[in-house]
Amino acid sequence: MAAATSAPRRLSLKRKYAMLTRGLGWETTYQPMDKVYPFDRFEGIVIHDWDGWEDPFRLTVDAYWKYQAEKERKLYAVMDSVAQNNGQLGITDARYLNAVKLFLTGVTPLEYAAHRGFAHAGRHLRGVGARIAAQMQSLDELRHAQTQIHTLSHYNKYFDGLHDFAHMHDRVWYLSVPKSFFDDALTAGPFEFVTAISFSFEYVLTNLLFVPFMSGAAFNGDMATVTFGFSAQSDESRHMTLGLEVVKFMLEQDPANVPIVQRWLDKWFWRGYRLLSLVSAMMDYMLPKRVMSWAEAWEMYFEESGGALFADLERYGIRPPKHHDVAKKEKSRLSHEVWTILYNYTHAAAFHTWVPSDDEMQWLSSKYPDTFDRLYRPRYRMWREAAARGERFYNDALPQLCNVCQIPMAFTEPDDPTKIAFRESIWRGERFHFCSDGCKDIFDDEPEKMSQSWLPVHQIFQGNCGGASIEDVLRYYHLNIGADNLDYEGSPEQELWDAWTADRRTAR
Amino acid sequence: MVDVAAGQTLLAACLRAGVHLPHACNHGLCGTCKVTVLEGEVDLGAASTFALMDVEREEGKALACCATLRSDAVIEADIDEDPDALRLAVGDHVGRVVAAEMATPDTRRIRVAVSGFAFQAGQYVDVRIPGLERPRAFSMATAPSARGGFDLLVKRVPGGEGTGWLHDRLAVGDALAFAGPFGRFFVRRSADRPILLLAGGSGISAIRSMLDDLLGDAGGPPIRLIYGARSERDLVGHAELVARAASTARLSYTAVLSEEASPRWDGARGFVHEQIEATLGGSCAGHTAYVCGPPAMIEACIRSLMKGRLFERDIYTERFVTVADGAAALARSPLFKRL
Repeated sequence: MAAATSAPRRLSLKRKYAMLTRGLGWETTYQPMDKVYPFDRFEGIVIHDWDGWEDPFRLTVDAYWKYQAEKERKLYAVMDSVAQNNGQLGITDARYLNAVKLFLTGVTPLEYAAHRGFAHAGRHLRGVGARIAAQMQSLDELRHAQTQIHTLSHYNKYFDGLHDFAHMHDRVWYLSVPKSFFDDALTAGPFEFVTAISFSFEYVLTNLLFVPFMSGAAFNGDMATVTFGFSAQSDESRHMTLGLEVVKFMLEQDPANVPIVQRWLDKWFWRGYRLLSLVSAMMDYMLPKRVMSWAEAWEMYFEESGGALFADLERYGIRPPKHHDVAKKEKSRLSHEVWTILYNYTHAAAFHTWVPSDDEMQWLSSKYPDTFDRLYRPRYRMWREAAARGERFYNDALPQLCNVCQIPMAFTEPDDPTKIAFRESIWRGERFHFCSDGCKDIFDDEPEKMSQSWLPVHQIFQGNCGGASIEDVLRYYHLNIGADNLDYEGSPEQELWDAWTADRRTAR
Repeated sequence: MVDVAAGQTLLAACLRAGVHLPHACNHGLCGTCKVTVLEGEVDLGAASTFALMDVEREEGKALACCATLRSDAVIEADIDEDPDALRLAVGDHVGRVVAAEMATPDTRRIRVAVSGFAFQAGQYVDVRIPGLERPRAFSMATAPSARGGFDLLVKRVPGGEGTGWLHDRLAVGDALAFAGPFGRFFVRRSADRPILLLAGGSGISAIRSMLDDLLGDAGGPPIRLIYGARSERDLVGHAELVARAASTARLSYTAVLSEEASPRWDGARGFVHEQIEATLGGSCAGHTAYVCGPPAMIEACIRSLMKGRLFERDIYTERFVTVADGAAALARSPLFKRL
């Protein structure tokens, strides 16, 4: 006869994950918990019960390793084939690569910064579930940085402006826009960091960065970018659920958290939106084959999806982020204003700009019937005529930068697209300038922090950037003068590309 | 043990048998319904290579929503155990109408006799209407302990085909075909906390079933019932509820009218969610709330409960939507899973 034995039940995934999180945590006794976790009360967030944290996903370390290893294998197989088959020749046009340059030099270092930020949050949040989630995300971000650097490394062999991205990230004026965004988040407390990056950026705004950019890459034959994009996006849903959970958790733990979270949502919506204005220019001007316009993407991903989210958040007493109405008013002019800025200063940038072709202007006019022909087409005509006379316009005066978003102050009044918006605040006797009410509000809320911004133009004038002439500054940036910068028309890159693709054009 | 028909997905078979596997997209894309095949052979179907990775396929994982059987199989799934779910198998039944009366000017009470059918208080059935492709859902309005059948409360939807047939054509003695029981809206006795029952209009059916079920227990936590209707004549079983509350120490009952009331009415006026704040003084934490009624009433109650610091894990809802409402459903974010 058989003894009634019951095989030990295998642990359910939920139990396994609880062992990994709650089971590995403990209350410290040699030192008080408040000294071990000095930052998670500093921001004013009140947590009564960390056990109320619901793990937004249950991924154990062994499973995590296996998944990521498989993703890496798939990704690098594609990257190898791109390299071996001269994949760079498959793109629609070399002008497209300038969008990739902006992305790889602007965003790749942010992935690395995110790795550091989540490592910090993963050390300083006292709840074990939240800590593990942040630590896994920290590893994800390191992987994203690595895959993007490998892509960058491939394109660096064939195109200009990619040879020193880490150095440039710390110095070049337009790269200070993404860099200062992340520096602000990294120097905040752990709750604000996770709200800023996981919720506001990855949940609310990330679709505006990844979807148009990755579809743009696919439309324009850029398999390397598509692949690192897909590989990163498979982690993204995990990151988004972390963002949702942390915000729900704070809102449910104590009513005193509601106004703090609201302030962060207001701030990081506007910061993220200003950062994405660079994406608007990429979408509308830099893709030879366009996917959708910035205005269409904004409507789909923010006004509709974001609208549903903020309708749900209203149940917690949270209102839509301040100045979202301004973003709506700006959607038909944002990309044109940003492209204008980039066109003005492309002699000081590590990528090229150009005047849109007639076909492109037709597309812009159809996507922006109320603004393009009236406000922007005349300007492009003027620039095109000047270039034809051999007087391509470059703006040699250094611009006033917004003290918060660090973009040159060329955005217009919410209700008047012909008038540049200027805002200012006086703090400790000094005057600070802003491009918008959104940026001014952020400064006024934290003047001690925001008054310390490292503003590239101010730094040049203070003599901290290699000298007083544009050439001195470009050398300080490590730009290859005459190759990385200036108009695409007449660039060495254009000459090379035309030579590589001469067959294609004669065949046609 | 679950019977699986040829070509039926594992998910469909399990749900039909009352085993609630977690699932979301139903198309092999999201991976929510991932299970492990311990014995036997399955066809993985159209599972996406991103939702079900190669290493997982090698480990015997499958997506239940698109996997079908090649042989008898044993699968293991991570189910959030709900100690209060009885996991009653869903079946097709035919009952007989044994009584019918107008409970209010627009609501018909239909008593159905049926054998071999069990349900949990708060669940619903899909009633088949001759000539209509889609069945109509109605919650049982009596306690499961009432032997031999259940009552349905059918409110006439102006111009509605389904409720029109149930009011005008269905007669005592007729057969009534239905499938069920369905729904995750049932009493969580294991919570063992004070209970808030909130009913709006015909939402009283499921709530009344729960109330009668709870009051059948020998003891238990306090119960507060708030029942909203337009006018006195729209309240179903009001006098009975008043009497139950007077004789039951743990039950308190508030009826609230949103439209004109007669001079006789000395009860509350307004909406259910306003009564949450009026009767609980703005503090709902520590309760378990069950909310049943039309979508606008549910949304208003959720907001009042959350304002009173009661959140998703302690709030259960059942939305009463008409076929016409369904099309106008609001876009939602993934912030809430159930609410």
